[in-house]
Amino acid sequence: MPMTLFMQSALPKVSRSRRLRSGTFKLRLTSMIDMFTILLVFLLKSYSAEGQIVTITQDLRLPESTSQTKPRVTSVVAVTQAWILLDGRPLIGVDQVMQQSGFLIQPLVDELSRLRAISEGIGEMSAQLAGFQGSISIQADREMTFELIKRIMLSCGKVGYNNMMLTVMQVD
Amino acid sequence: MNLKNAIETRRRDRQESDLDLTPVMNIFLILIPFLLLTAVFVKIAVLELSLPNLERQGAVAQQQERKTVVLNFLFIKETGFEVRSPDLKLPAIPKTAEGYDWSTLSDQLKAAKSKYPDSEDIIIAPVNSITYETIISVMDRCRESGFTNISISG
Repeated sequence: MPMTLFMQSALPKVSRSRRLRSGTFKLRLTSMIDMFTILLVFLLKSYSAEGQIVTITQDLRLPESTSQTKPRVTSVVAVTQAWILLDGRPLIGVDQVMQQSGFLIQPLVDELSRLRAISEGIGEMSAQLAGFQGSISIQADREMTFELIKRIMLSCGKVGYNNMMLTVMQVD
Repeated sequence: MNLKNAIETRRRDRQESDLDLTPVMNIFLILIPFLLLTAVFVKIAVLELSLPNLERQGAVAQQQERKTVVLNFLFIKETGFEVRSPDLKLPAIPKTAEGYDWSTLSDQLKAAKSKYPDSEDIIIAPVNSITYETIISVMDRCRESGFTNISISG
């Protein structure tokens, strides 16, 4: 009997306080859902199932182009404002290249010859594996002068990398 | 009686209008990080450029015998562009106040293309100080005008 009495007296008190508290903690989610919906639509628009084959070297602003050609996987010669890199490894400084008198960039030629020998070796091992394709990607800063591009292209062409793919940022 | 009815309906209305949004939030919270990870903000493309292959020079020479070659030249200088096409007198395109005159270049390239519709080759010859960005833009204009086979000459 005292138990039921206690409960009867306690119940309304608890529920009243809970009602009060739930009133203060009620979240208004509508605006958050609005925001999420907009975000979701935007992200779905920029969704790509392919992923990105090309990694862009830091310290580099690629030029813009209307080209639609998709990049392929090749070795990458990157030319930043300070360094010339082959597959991420720095080879020679840009200043040094500009000061030299000849057009050939010797460190680049050496490294590319080594790469060519490796890929030709792979091609000889098995007919299923793609051997030497002669294609190379060039990522260069948009402010670079033609004089430097010319030297890089000549060095690549000298080794036999004749299909050059100039990496650009696609604009619609 | 009327008052009691009114209170009843109002309470029912309020109960119906209260949506439980928690599952929607759960879906969003999972979807948004996933889409953020797969989103691509910078689209990368390539411009293909082939140097004449020294190892297969014989094959190239045979190709050249078959079709008559029309050599279109495009010079890029500090002061502007210059398009040279055989038997076609095109004036040099000086820079305007905003920089290079892209629309006149497109017009001249289209004129050269309409004179030789079969020709797809153009040789771009920039001077040493021209920036990479300008060369890429010129290559774009050439492709848009129908010259798909672009070579660069130093």
